[in-house]
This record gives sequence, C-alpha cells and structure tokens, in this order.
Amino acid sequence: MAKERIPDWLNSSLWSTTPSVDDRLHRFSLSPTTTTTTAAAAVSEPIVQPTVPVSPPAAASRPQYTVTSQKYEFRDPIDKNSNNNSNDNDQNASPSGVSPDDISRQAQLLAELSKKVVNFRELRRIASQGIPDGAGIRSTVWKLLLGYLPPDRLQWSSELAKKRSEYKQFKEELLMNPTEITRKLEKSAVDDHSKSESSGLLSRSQVTHGEHPLSLGESSIWNQFFQDTEIIEQIDRDVKRTHPDMQFFSGDLPLAKSNQDALKDILIVFAKLNPGIRYVQGMNEILAPLFYVFRNDPDEEMAAAAEADSFFCFVELLSGFRDHFCKQLDNSTVGIRSTISRLSQFLKEHDEELWRHLEITTKVNPQFYAFRWITLLLTQEFNFADSLHIWDTLLSDPEGPLETLLRVCCAMLILVRRRLLAGDFTSNLKLLQNYPSSNISHLLYVANKLRSQASN
Amino acid sequence: MVLVLAIGDLHIPHRAPDLPPKFKSMLVPGKIQHIICTGNLCIKEVHDYFKTLCPDLHITRGEYDEDSRYPENKTLTIGQFKLGTIGQFKLGICHGHQVIPWGDLDSLAMVQRQLDVDILVTGHTHQFKAYKHEGGVVINPGSATGAYSSFTYDVNPSFVLMDIDGLRVVVYVYELIDGEVKVDKIDFKKTATAPSAH
Repeated sequence: MAKERIPDWLNSSLWSTTPSVDDRLHRFSLSPTTTTTTAAAAVSEPIVQPTVPVSPPAAASRPQYTVTSQKYEFRDPIDKNSNNNSNDNDQNASPSGVSPDDISRQAQLLAELSKKVVNFRELRRIASQGIPDGAGIRSTVWKLLLGYLPPDRLQWSSELAKKRSEYKQFKEELLMNPTEITRKLEKSAVDDHSKSESSGLLSRSQVTHGEHPLSLGESSIWNQFFQDTEIIEQIDRDVKRTHPDMQFFSGDLPLAKSNQDALKDILIVFAKLNPGIRYVQGMNEILAPLFYVFRNDPDEEMAAAAEADSFFCFVELLSGFRDHFCKQLDNSTVGIRSTISRLSQFLKEHDEELWRHLEITTKVNPQFYAFRWITLLLTQEFNFADSLHIWDTLLSDPEGPLETLLRVCCAMLILVRRRLLAGDFTSNLKLLQNYPSSNISHLLYVANKLRSQASN
Repeated sequence: MVLVLAIGDLHIPHRAPDLPPKFKSMLVPGKIQHIICTGNLCIKEVHDYFKTLCPDLHITRGEYDEDSRYPENKTLTIGQFKLGTIGQFKLGICHGHQVIPWGDLDSLAMVQRQLDVDILVTGHTHQFKAYKHEGGVVINPGSATGAYSSFTYDVNPSFVLMDIDGLRVVVYVYELIDGEVKVDKIDFKKTATAPSAH
C-alpha cells in the first residue's frame, strides 16, 4: 500500500482551473516548469498544451482550441474553423488560424487515408491527438474507426453502396403505415371490381387475418402501429429539442427541418429493429454529432448519404453502450450503475483525497453527475465543437470508448479538484452538473496520463 | 391514413343500457381521428363518452336526441387538397328520419346531391347498408347497441370505421353476431373526375 500522499504530478499548479476563460491564457504564459513529466508518453507530446512556443514547433501551443472553447453560443463552429483552415497556408502563425502542428497532423491523416490499405494503429495514433476540422477528414476517420468503412480502400465504394441500399430497404419496410401494408398484401384486383358496377350494394369482403384498425391482437399490424406511435411521438419531441442553439438542428430553415426528419427516421428505424431496447431519451444526443459530421462532409456524395451512414455508425457506437440504456440492467454488472461505480473506483485509485471528500465527506453520489456524463458520452457537458474533439479521442483509443470515457471523466474531476475540495455538497453538485468550460486538449492530456498511471 | 368512426342510433338509455362490452373494449382513445354520429344517442353522457374517444366529434340530430342543438345535417371534408393528385373526401351526415320513405335509396341520393358530398352517412333504420350509386356512396352504420327500431326487434349491433387514404376508402364493418364480433371490409375509390360544385 503506497503512501497516501498525492502524487507529485497532481500537485502542480497545472491542475487548478479558474472560472474565467481569459485567465487561462495568462496562466499559460507561465514558465513551463511542470512539463517534465510529459517526456514519458510520446503520444502526448503534441497535446502538451500549456507550454508557450518556446520549445520547437512540434510542441507548439494550439491557439485554435482557445478560440473554440469559449462558451458563447455556437452557430456553426465547424464552418468557422474550416474557413480558417483553408487560409492557413498564408498565415502561418495567426492567432485564430491553424498552427503548423495542425497542418502536419492534417497532412499525416490525409496521407494515411489515401493509402490503399489503412493502417489502423497508425490512424488511431494520429487521430487520438485530435482530428482537424476541415476537408471532411473527421467524417472519413470516424467511419473507419467505427468499422463502417473497411480498411481496404478499394472496397469502400461497394461497401457503401451495399449499406446504403440496406438502409433504404429498412426505411421502406418499417416506415410504412398499416393502410399501405394492407394494400400491398392484397394486390388482387380490387380496382377493376369497383369500375364494373356503377350502382347497387357494395360487395363486402372478408377481412384477412382479423386485421382491422381496432384490432387488439398482439400480432396485428394495426395494433403494433398504434403502439409504435407513442415511441414515434417521443422521438419527435426529443429530436425537436436537440441542440436548439444550433441552426443545423433547429430553426425554421428547411435545412433544419430535413435534418430533423433524418434524425427522426434513423431513430425510428433503430427502435423498430431493436425491440429490446427501443428508443430511450438521450439516444438523439448520441446520434446528433455523428449526423452533423457526416452531413457536413464537403464531398457531395458522402453528405447526401449522411443519413444511412449515420444509422450504421450509430448502431456501432451504441453497441458498446447499449446496456446503459436498458432499465432492467441498471443494477447488473453491465448496467449504468456498475459503470458509475467503476468510475468511482477509478477516482479512488488515482486521487484518494478527492474521492474521499466527494463521496464520503460531502456525500456527492456519483450518480448525480456521472449519469449524464456517461450515458450521453459527454455531449451535454461541453460545447459542440469540444465534444467533437473529445469524441475523436473516445473513438480512436485502442482501449475502447468506454475505458477512455471513464478516464476522461476522472480527468474532469481531477481538473477541478481544488474547487471540489473547497466546496460542500451544494456547490460541488452545482459545479459538476454545470461543468466549467476548459481547455479540451489539456483535459485529454490529463486523461491520457491516467492511463499510464497504474493504481497506487 | 385517416380513421373515421361512423356510429349512431344507440338510444341510450331508453332502448339500451350501453354499448356491448366487446365493442367498448375495442373503442379506445388515440386511434380514431374523427367520429361521425348519425344521431339518437340520446343523452349527454354518451356524447361525453364519444368525446373521450376523439375530440373531433360531429353529430346530427335524431328525433329522440335530448340535446336540441345538434344540426339536422352536417358536412365535413377529410383530406388535404393538393392540386392534381390527392383530393378531398366530402362526408355528409344526416340522421335519416327526415328522409321519407325511410331508408329509400333514391331519396337518400337526393339528399346526397343536395349536400354535395361523396359519402353520405345516415342512420335511423338500424340496419347496416352500404350503397353505391352515380353520385357517391351511402353508408348506414346501423345501431351500435342493437336497439330495436320502428319496424323490427331483430337488430344486430354494428358500427363502421372508415380508413381514408387519399382517394381510397376502406370501410371496416364491425357487427356483433351471436355474441362474436365479425369484421368485414369494403374497398372503394373515389372517381377522380368529380365535377366541381357550382
């Protein structure tokens, strides 16, 4: 049993965060005394955020992220950045432009993507440092990481065509209303019949299989339809509430409407294909970033098929987290409660003092804050652009998204430890439920460090 | 896909205490978009019951209805009018005791032409009927409670549910025969070239 002291690297002034955004910029111009520990993990080199560009350009600071992590409402964060990206060749070190580090990463990614067979380890390594926002790179990389696109480039077009037509078929089958279904089932000539007699008693015909609109039978398509209506209404409500501050998702433009319709269709098809889990509130939040990224792909063909692509990637992403959405599994070893207690355990291993203070002294049950963090994959805690960056890391880490998520959550707690240690139940809960905006690269760096630190 | 319930001649409480339980179990709120009632409910409680099934309720006055504010006949249009493709269905409601001889096809056809509707829903005879003639279709949902009528005791409870989808209507007839619910259906299409009313 090691000494109960806080490890040195944790003690540094690096971890203290202040509420205001501007302070951070000041602090990062302090002398880089504490970055010695970064030498250990080579991967984290470019993420060493706090150092001022005293060191060689490879480890340059990334001004790009200070722009995006400010907390005001975002209209289209990606558009802004992609505009910047296109100009970056001219202005090398402009404060709102892209640092040379980003350019190199973009070049690396493009090189990797254009290979005949994509090397996944390489891709993951580069992607975990963050994916630049322009040129549709993120869209392609996410599709690769989620297993939607095969590693062999030549197979891409055939795979895509196959999957897209599959989705189209799902839609046709599952989104029909019962009237259309019954009409399809009996293609027998009813039309000719009605033309022949101009007047007289209308002929009655048998109802097939007891299928009528008021049927209460379990297998009746009408009954199923009405049962599904509830879920469809729920999905509709949630989709309308997704990211109300973003024009992409909500607003009066026909663009927003078509995006909402796409989200709805994806979620309805998913709910119908998965009767075990159906639709649970929150799935829309997990779908939204995927759809956003794929829809904003500069490649026309990719953007047009964003709905089908998002569906399959959503299924893939959710497969690791399904159990969190299943109510019956709440108390089991795979459910949300067990994941939250794993997080708690993780925190205990890395920062016992904080853990003790949070759970025992101030009695902040991790369920109060971690539930949303974990089930929604941190989409609600940060602004949209930041959450995309976090997702880059979540998806690219070889340990898997769940493990990475736990590490990031732990890092989030550690970053505000000073405030947490000083606070009581109310202030801690308030802080954790409205997590302050912070430097994402910094956060991810800390999360990464937690990986190499085994339990003390 | 619009579901319209056509029901009437319940004569509650005078001739029947309530709807048959098998019918009642099928009529649940949330499924039906419109209710058309031919009349003779007769009391407010029945009106309220229908309101719980569906807020959009259209009633015409039967001779025994205690609420005298119901109109003698009513028309309503179902469906959205889109240029060229899908048209509207016009439904007319009338109790039928005003039309003499009762249940006579020609006289009812006259009423239908007067109201200028595609489907005329009437009652009073307590017998299910569905006629087609040049002007359109006449549907009589019968009596939902099986109440005796002016000329016969032998009445099977019945009502009608119409599924209107564009220009096609599927009429589902629900009858209670020997204690069992029997469902039949009738399919018809509106002839697209209906002359416009002047």
